[in-house]
Amino acid sequence: MLPDAMTESLNRRLAGESRRIKLLRTLLRKGWVHSGAKLAIDYLEKRDWKPYQINAIRCIANDFRNAYLGKKPSIFTSAFVPNELVYGLGAVPFLPEAAAGFAASYKLAGESLAAGESLWYSPDLCSFHRAGVGASVINLTPEPAAVIVSSQLCDGGKQALFQISRYHNCPFHVLDVPYGQSEQSLKYLSKQLEIVVKDLKREVPDLSEEYMDEALANSNAALSYYRELCELRKNTPSPWRGSEALNYVVLFLWSWGSPWLPKFYKSLRDYAENIISTGNYPIPNEQFRLAWLNLRPYYSTKLFDYLENEAQISVAFEEFSYLHWDVLDPQDPYTSLANKIMSNFGWGPARRRLKVISKIVQEFSIDGVVQFAQWGCRQHNGASYVLSDYLKKEGIPFLNLDGDGVDIKNSGEAQSLTRLGAFRELLEARKIKNLR
Amino acid sequence: METDLYTVGIDVGSSATKGALLLNRRVLSTFVLSTGTDLGSAAEKCLSRLLNTCGLTKKDISYIVSTGYGRTQVEASDRTITEITCHGRGAKALVPKAGLVIDIGGQDSKVICLDRNGMVEDFVMNDKCAAGTGRFLEVMAGRLGISLFDFGRMWRTAKKSTHISSTCTVFAESEVISLLSKGVPPNIIIRGLCDAIADRLLGMVYRVGLKPGIVMTGGVSKNEGVRLSLEGKIPYKIIVPDASQFAGAYGAALIGRDLLKQI
Repeated sequence: MLPDAMTESLNRRLAGESRRIKLLRTLLRKGWVHSGAKLAIDYLEKRDWKPYQINAIRCIANDFRNAYLGKKPSIFTSAFVPNELVYGLGAVPFLPEAAAGFAASYKLAGESLAAGESLWYSPDLCSFHRAGVGASVINLTPEPAAVIVSSQLCDGGKQALFQISRYHNCPFHVLDVPYGQSEQSLKYLSKQLEIVVKDLKREVPDLSEEYMDEALANSNAALSYYRELCELRKNTPSPWRGSEALNYVVLFLWSWGSPWLPKFYKSLRDYAENIISTGNYPIPNEQFRLAWLNLRPYYSTKLFDYLENEAQISVAFEEFSYLHWDVLDPQDPYTSLANKIMSNFGWGPARRRLKVISKIVQEFSIDGVVQFAQWGCRQHNGASYVLSDYLKKEGIPFLNLDGDGVDIKNSGEAQSLTRLGAFRELLEARKIKNLR
Repeated sequence: METDLYTVGIDVGSSATKGALLLNRRVLSTFVLSTGTDLGSAAEKCLSRLLNTCGLTKKDISYIVSTGYGRTQVEASDRTITEITCHGRGAKALVPKAGLVIDIGGQDSKVICLDRNGMVEDFVMNDKCAAGTGRFLEVMAGRLGISLFDFGRMWRTAKKSTHISSTCTVFAESEVISLLSKGVPPNIIIRGLCDAIADRLLGMVYRVGLKPGIVMTGGVSKNEGVRLSLEGKIPYKIIVPDASQFAGAYGAALIGRDLLKQI
């Protein structure tokens, strides 16, 4: 049950909401809308849309249809929970943090953020969580059957998703991820996964482990294509626009275990292969290659237009696209998934993350590193100095670009463009110096 | 023998538009005017004035580089370069031993670390808040009814400082009103305001790395109080060249000359 003050605050919020929110909430729950979406995707497929774009839309649309129409239980998860677990139980995952990104792209973030803030979430909290919790309380998200969060990486995420479980009165599970790496910690986490599955089967009707093998097989198939894609992305010039890759990070966080993910990565691999063989690169005159840390603004922004079209600079690879786990073992799903969680380099001492960034820099021939310093992101911004110091010693130019992925109020586009412009000039000056 | 080249740098800032006309590396003319609301027109006026002063026409100018917040609004510009690179270049030319440039303009502040050749090695800018910028000081001067030019003189007469929030211009203004109502003398408040700006700058200075050869540029460099407050917090003297306000425009014109020679 919600405390009175919260219900009152919510009622006030709901009473004042805009017509378009009311309409959208209704439409998202109509079968004919999802059938229409299916036809629209088929139509887009016949037009100029690329196969990987179509597969990506199908991947998410499929989960949305199942979740909004209640065809399968919807389990809300935080960004780093392995969703093979959810698909493996015959449910569909829903990531409120990723939904916040969608809200920003479709100019709905304002309402979601306001709803989150009406529940006393400070504007200082990461906007992915504020908007995620807000979208959920104004019922723009589906009805969750349960919520699973992992203690890595974001603390705000756990707290915000707990609020969602409270509002929807559904079970809440926390995967307590040990900070250190050891056999014991692996067993501890694997046991928790087993218990969560057992509890969920008891708490949520229609869940069964019979889909686990299939989910793990889907994940492994996707992994194999994804590895090949990563190899192709090492090519100079880059075969894929980083601005787009940063949009598709959502699938990397959401869809492992989905039957659509192998199709998506296969088509994307084919696309990259074709680009390299035909030489039809998106940024043919590539001047510099950047590694991009953290996420990007998901509302309309000129930043990538400047980088890619004006300055001919590629975002060659992104931190959140880095593959950190190995093939999952269907014979031992819980240990495999525990391993996947614990191999996340963002968790644990900063040197784990630095090691990966250093690998990205070397493998992807990176000229400079940009960290999008998401407003309120403790785990990334907290390590900014360590990161900057490390890169300075390695002689790799670094830009800490303050901004916000969802809340446009926290971003100054002109200032960001100046910073990116100055960073480009710095890279150019270094290039000239190195040529001398 | 080198051909004589005229180049122009125009720095369109949020408060003021500055211009510098160079013959080779020698400054022939500088001009500053308020930017106002029409950035393109301010740049145009600035250019006309520079040309008129030297009896030149646009045709005589080999290259124009625009910089600053309104750099893309300058119609006559051959190239836009960010103010970070231009201030670095200008400061190095004005003060050859420059290693660290603190540029405080109307709406933002920057700390730029230069290598031995004057190349930008690293930089930081303030976040999206106006605190610690020229605008902050303008608002406070208005509230105190004191000219910005008097800040340095009044800072020197204050024997102590007072704490003022450095996080927000609006909150700081309320604090100033509150301090005035408590009878705190304006010179002490001014010293407190300059200290607040210095505190903000200090974090940025340490972020890129404190080193000798600190040069202050931009409009706020003319405010002696900020310099004195900052000097009180670091072990080095801060150099403010006479043409500190024109460092960006001067740097832009010098870069224009370099670019021309590359063509």
